[in-house]
Amino acid sequence: MATARPGWSRRAQYGLFFSFLAVIAGIVIGVILLTLSLVAPQQFERVRGAALDVTGPVAGALHEVTSTAAGVFTGAGNYWDAANQNAKLKRERAAMLQRMVEAKAIFQENRELKATLQLRERGRSTIAVGRIVGSSFNSPRRFAILSTGTSDGVRVGMPVRSSMGLVGRIIDAGALASRVQLVSDRASVVPARLLRNGIPVIAQGRGDGSIDVRPLEVGRNPFKRGDIIITSGTGGLYPPLVPIARVVKLDDDGAVALPLADPATTSFAIVEPPFEPTAVAASALETP
Amino acid sequence: MVRAALGPPRGKIGRGPSPFAAYLPAATVVAASFLSALPIVSTSGWYPNFGFLVLISWRLLRADPWPPWWAAPLGFVNDLFTGYPLGFSVALWSATMLALDLIDRRTMWRDYWIEWVLATVLIAIDQGLQWRVAAAAGAAPEIPRMAPPLIISICVFPVFAWLISRIDAWRLGR
Repeated sequence: MATARPGWSRRAQYGLFFSFLAVIAGIVIGVILLTLSLVAPQQFERVRGAALDVTGPVAGALHEVTSTAAGVFTGAGNYWDAANQNAKLKRERAAMLQRMVEAKAIFQENRELKATLQLRERGRSTIAVGRIVGSSFNSPRRFAILSTGTSDGVRVGMPVRSSMGLVGRIIDAGALASRVQLVSDRASVVPARLLRNGIPVIAQGRGDGSIDVRPLEVGRNPFKRGDIIITSGTGGLYPPLVPIARVVKLDDDGAVALPLADPATTSFAIVEPPFEPTAVAASALETP
Repeated sequence: MVRAALGPPRGKIGRGPSPFAAYLPAATVVAASFLSALPIVSTSGWYPNFGFLVLISWRLLRADPWPPWWAAPLGFVNDLFTGYPLGFSVALWSATMLALDLIDRRTMWRDYWIEWVLATVLIAIDQGLQWRVAAAAGAAPEIPRMAPPLIISICVFPVFAWLISRIDAWRLGR
């Protein structure tokens, strides 16, 4: 297709013309696929899952290699300052023990109070545990690849958390790996509240690893630097009381926060069932 | 007679194109798309779109690295591996092939600077469309946040162009 006319050969001319048509057909097919995948993403669930099963295990294997290499270096670094570190850890441990006794007392009191209120406590179950082995590092969206899939019971829409805090929710699931929409993705909106005073807020990702938090009620900016944002459980998808982020910067009517569960350093992520499946199903029906 | 001439052919003399020469360019594009499986966990998304960079490197180097319609299946593979919405690269890559064919008819001469400018324009279109598609999914980042990945991709293009020219020389046995 490089020149306007490849010569006198009819065959070459037709070849050129048909390859031109084929490219235009490619563009048309691409646009149709793109429209379909934006309007009805569940259409391609299976083929995307299959692709994840190809990339996921490879990423997992490479992750193993890099984390071992990194572990050797940090492990060597830990010996460098061992005596100081030891003393510091001992001090921390003493302080922690005291806090733990206090927490145990509060826990017991809490249980008694709940028993008197006859509040039903739903046991929190775990569907699967996986490692975060990759991410969408060349896209404006914030996705991560989790090394567990439908063979372990993972389904699209389930919340994902780590021991540090909320990670996100499953958006694609293959048999061996799944894709997680992180809380820092722009399309991720989590109903939340401030840990300090329980003011309801909305946590929306900013697409660059940070999170935008805004109060639900307009008025005074309720945030302070260092505030912890936790999930409120509203909407029924995310379980309540999971830490999400820490406020690092205030702006006009809200604040910028950094996720507590940094996907780059999160070793294990836990997939949980939707907190209130019936509520999630009902809201899915309302907003198709 | 030089004794070395009697031994097995070494170096550049007597070396033909590699047996997979016709398929190697497409294979490198797939391999670049597969780089998305690297265990990089980034929260900024500043890495370049490897598949697209390799595609335009090949196409700017030669007019016929693969039949033009191959861009569609190559784009499909890229979409699957990178997690872009399906069809994004299919449409963009096919349109790129078409656009570069039209540009080939117009340009009087080519040098490194013109290729870099063309690549810059194509990368900017790629980033702009990615932003547009993210916006359609309700996830558009603020526009200034798209600048770092754009600048990084533009700066890294010459490296890809050099690498592809080396691979091209190797596959043709030059």
